[in-house]
Amino acid sequence: MAHTKNRRGFIRDFLQVGFAGGIGLSLADLLRKEAHADPKNYVSKEGTAKSLIFIFLPGGLAQQESFDPKPLAPIEYRGPMGSIETNVSGVRFNELLKRTARIADKLAVCRSLTHGEAAHERGTHNMFTGYRPSPALAFPSMGSVVSHEFGPRKNLPPYVCIPNQPNEFAGTGYLSSSYAPFSLGSDPARGNFRVRDLSLPNGCDDNRFARRRRILDAVNDHFRNKEKSDSLDAVDTFYDRAYAMISSPQARDAFDIAKEDDKLREAYGKNAAGQRMLMARRLVEAGVRFVTLSYGGWDMHDNIHNGFNRSMPPFDRAFATLIADLDQRGLLDSTLVAVASEFGRTPKINNNAGRDHWPKVYSVVLAGGGIKRGIVHGSSDATASEPEDNPLTVQDWATTMYKCLGIVADKELMAPGDRPVEICDGGKVVEELLA
Amino acid sequence: MGRKTNSACDVGLTDRNRHTFEISAMATRQQTRFVILSLLMLAGFTGLLFAQDAAPESALTGVESLETAAVADDASPVDKITELAVFPGEVSLTTSRDRQSLVVQARLADGRTQDVTSDAEVTFEMPGLAKFEGGTLYPVADGSTQLKVEHGGHRVIVPITVEAATVERPVSFELDVMPVLMKSGCNMGSCHGAARGKDGFRLSLFGFDPQGDYFRLTREISGRRINLARPEESLLLQKATGAVPHSGGKRFEVSSELYDTLHRWLVSGASVDAGEVPKVMSVEINPPNAVLAGEGAQQRLTVRAHYSDGTNRDVTSLAYFSTNNDNSAPVSGDGVITAATRGEAFVTARFETHTVGMDVIVLPVEQDFAWSEPPEFNYIDTLINNKLKKLRINPSQVCSDEEFLRRVYLDIIGQLPTPDEFDRFMQSKDSQKRVLLIDELLARKEFVEVWVMKWAELLQIRTTQQVTYKPMLLYYSWLQEQIANNQPIDQMVQELLSATGGTFTSPATNYYQSETDTLKISENVAQVFMGMRIQCAQCHNHPFDRWTMDDYYGFAAFFSQIGRKRAEDPREIIVFNRGGGEVNHPVGNRRMAPKFLGGETPNVKGKDRRAVLATWLASDDNPYFARNLSNIVWAHFFGRGIINEVDDVRVSNPAVNPELLDELARRFSDYRYDFRQMVRDICNSRTYQLSTATNETNIADNTNFSHGSLRRLRAEVLLDCISQVTETPNKFRGLPRGASAIQIADGNTSTYFLTTFGRAKRETVCSCEVKMEPNLSQALHLLNGDSVHNRIRQGKLIKRRLDEGVSPKDLIRELYIRCLTREPTEAETTNLRAILAEEKSQRQSLEDVFWALLNSREFLFNH
Repeated sequence: MAHTKNRRGFIRDFLQVGFAGGIGLSLADLLRKEAHADPKNYVSKEGTAKSLIFIFLPGGLAQQESFDPKPLAPIEYRGPMGSIETNVSGVRFNELLKRTARIADKLAVCRSLTHGEAAHERGTHNMFTGYRPSPALAFPSMGSVVSHEFGPRKNLPPYVCIPNQPNEFAGTGYLSSSYAPFSLGSDPARGNFRVRDLSLPNGCDDNRFARRRRILDAVNDHFRNKEKSDSLDAVDTFYDRAYAMISSPQARDAFDIAKEDDKLREAYGKNAAGQRMLMARRLVEAGVRFVTLSYGGWDMHDNIHNGFNRSMPPFDRAFATLIADLDQRGLLDSTLVAVASEFGRTPKINNNAGRDHWPKVYSVVLAGGGIKRGIVHGSSDATASEPEDNPLTVQDWATTMYKCLGIVADKELMAPGDRPVEICDGGKVVEELLA
Repeated sequence: MGRKTNSACDVGLTDRNRHTFEISAMATRQQTRFVILSLLMLAGFTGLLFAQDAAPESALTGVESLETAAVADDASPVDKITELAVFPGEVSLTTSRDRQSLVVQARLADGRTQDVTSDAEVTFEMPGLAKFEGGTLYPVADGSTQLKVEHGGHRVIVPITVEAATVERPVSFELDVMPVLMKSGCNMGSCHGAARGKDGFRLSLFGFDPQGDYFRLTREISGRRINLARPEESLLLQKATGAVPHSGGKRFEVSSELYDTLHRWLVSGASVDAGEVPKVMSVEINPPNAVLAGEGAQQRLTVRAHYSDGTNRDVTSLAYFSTNNDNSAPVSGDGVITAATRGEAFVTARFETHTVGMDVIVLPVEQDFAWSEPPEFNYIDTLINNKLKKLRINPSQVCSDEEFLRRVYLDIIGQLPTPDEFDRFMQSKDSQKRVLLIDELLARKEFVEVWVMKWAELLQIRTTQQVTYKPMLLYYSWLQEQIANNQPIDQMVQELLSATGGTFTSPATNYYQSETDTLKISENVAQVFMGMRIQCAQCHNHPFDRWTMDDYYGFAAFFSQIGRKRAEDPREIIVFNRGGGEVNHPVGNRRMAPKFLGGETPNVKGKDRRAVLATWLASDDNPYFARNLSNIVWAHFFGRGIINEVDDVRVSNPAVNPELLDELARRFSDYRYDFRQMVRDICNSRTYQLSTATNETNIADNTNFSHGSLRRLRAEVLLDCISQVTETPNKFRGLPRGASAIQIADGNTSTYFLTTFGRAKRETVCSCEVKMEPNLSQALHLLNGDSVHNRIRQGKLIKRRLDEGVSPKDLIRELYIRCLTREPTEAETTNLRAILAEEKSQRQSLEDVFWALLNSREFLFNH
């Protein structure tokens, strides 16, 4: 392994992908360096999924009460809720997933996801990074990896979180914080929703802003002539991106959920689930590559029936509308939608009528972006305790999503200490999931 | 003249230096240089006649005749060979398969080095004991003799002993087979060394578990991996040579030595090592440094391992080579460095658990370089300049008074100078005004606050589930008191690490509450106080450093007896010494005795282990403590450490200027760990005061401190500066209105601004938690957010000044001084006036200037 000095150096990293076109002076050097170094390197090229919407349901969504009901199991396993047929024959969902059941033919339900982390933060780490937590290394989230590999598109940030970065693992890990998600900073479900710092401050119209920019250029001129530095260029790059976003009506509109037809807003549901997913669709449509949104709290140790009655209907409405909406706009084939939680829940109902943490087997859903429609991949056993067919590891799941995005997950990125680290280690592409 | 000398030389050639002559001639392009070399040759030859008694015990002594010096000086002094060295300096060959490669290095008058191994003349004093082929010595018969190595008028004597020349040493699994697995990359993380192995076969990562590997090779799947009946059909060999499909491809040839070793091991029965296996005690790489001139210049390396039984062995062919700068000095798998573009590199060889390195400097062949003889303000400049001279880099000029003023304010107190302070300094005619200003700033309370903040990061002062607000605040106050009272840092650290008692009554004990995991605590202590990241060694021997799992768990054993119990107040915990509790090695479950990192195993019987550790750690016995602290201080003022990152000290990440770091450490210790004195030295150095403007020679240098560097202001300082220049107070949780961001006690107290600009949450001890990289949210926030636009309006500075009757021109001057610590240039004034003329509202247009200044790169950066 040959290593290049100071490989974690932000600029080099930063220039490597995405901005090479803009500040391409040292690209040749870069590629040469890459070629020298042993680390496995592949050039990422947009795949079937041009964008990804990651819907994270924090707390640990019960597989039994969502996508893997066990209607034939004894009551203590089956739980208090019933199940319904979907439009895919033989596949049943929880009774509350009424609308989702009608678009099941567009989904790939994976019922055999399995890992070994039963603590919230460790499970969450798995699902955002594709890695088990390590004492030695902070791994980047999938969104930051996408940001690193592809950079921005159409004046929009590559990785956006709705409404905020949901947890520390959704960040950049060992990558430069330049690949951090852009957070809306406000919930689109709120009446006074406004993306933080996107619109000009009160008392500053476009004209005044234009003059401010001219003054700023005049002030920057002196320093620009005097100093040359990569770190200055990097600041300039982000100022340019900010200008582009502020001044591009398309980019600004993408964040303006009020521009959406009110009927559609109603269809998604005027609540956190609905408006966040609608916002995600708007962003993806406008060019954002990776949108992460979180919804609800699913850590239902007590009275799981009530919990689901409260949280699931808005999800059902929003998710079903999102899939149908994307499909109608012809976006579903190029947009991968992933629904996941950090783990599932125990096979048996506990003494408090709830279920506890269970990472051994649970369900995730994928749709669009090159994923097969209307399938169930893998299965859990009769009591949803262990994977039965085709156990799906977190690595396989992540590797398959990366594959759709056009990223070879085996590619190595440079972590601190000149340590090459795979984007995702040891996963394989699950061909059965691919369309 | 040239011709004449040339022919004279030809005539004088004897058989034994013809070879040398040809090579030298080929290597020289220019006629003059050709002549010099020819002269040297002749001189060298004559030199031999005179210099018969070279000191035999030293292989590094250059011996030259007067004549040589005279002739060469006449021609061109830079190409003169001043020293010849042979590595290793003495050779012992034991058993028939032993051997030793030699490297002969010539040092020229201008500091360049040349690998002259194949040019040098080699003769044995007593022939028949060893033979010398292709740069390598092989045993023939037992005895001792000397090897004469001659080149360019110098001679070096290398003592040689040969023992057991006809005895074959049996193949050993640990000594021979394991190194083959390592060299071929079999046990790398991306191959079979992965935690779950590869394609069904697992080896321990970088060979941390030889017994386990032996088992997996020979016993795990009986009859599969090795075939003792037909060794060459062993899957082990067939996979490695690509005879059968192998995901890892072909690793070596059937004809290779690596293959031969494995094959012989299989033929001999693939036995496990009997009895005690000698351990590798140390590894040496030679030459220790090289200064190569011109692309394509080469230097071969030789690597030798020393074993616990007193033997040594040439492991060049088994070592794993890497370089930290492929652009300048790539190294091949067999240890040959080839010079490429100008630069510096550190080339390392790894054998077993040992990593050793050597420095390489690559210079262009032709360069008009004249050392600018810059003045030296103190010892720092001397040591920096020594290095720069070697690199043929001239440092920049000293920065202007304005630049110095801004830099030193931001670095020492984390604030900008006020317009009054600006005028006072600029008008002062005192030749010592910079020195005086440094002293003045060191006496300000903000200096203490800056360092309390930095220490609070290292000590992770923040509220957690275990540490509630009250003990956190007590902990912070304890730290503040230590720094404010100028408590020597070694004493502070000793008190901290050996702290016992309640988290209220003895707040330093909170150190053991903000992190309660034994392994994590020991990792943190190593990282903060020694600058080392030993985390890797929790699971495998560190691949690029010396730390093994034994070191890791031995160090962790110091923290295995921490007791914790509830106090009366439910928020308080009492930390005490339990006197029991051990750490076991995960491989083999051995109980580990507490062992200092890189140090001895102290007697801890009946003692508080933490106290034993604290005493050693914060003392001069620990070679890393003072170096690490000096480096942390240095990095604060230069934006990068002499070892960078400051908490990533490892063999493969050496100091760019070890002499400087050693000297800083020595002085820091002499100063009784007084921070102020250290800072005073640094800020008074010319190196600190260099301009950011570069010259032709230092434009590409970013590591050797040859010019000032641009550093973005850290989140807290940036916010404090905005607050200062707009005259708008901050309000943070738990602090009175008007407090500064650097005074925030709790890592968990933050604001949108601080988080967006990368303030450390103190969740880890890593220096990387403080983020300096730009991002989109920062740009948007400064452009549109409340921190600039609203504060300008809230502070009403513009309105007040206009009401006071200050002219726009003077107000612009004041704004420039406030924000950028300089007056606007003529061009700027003209430019701005033109733009401002368009707007009717004077207040609004001046506010826009203020806005632009706060958004300018010049404001965001320290320079």
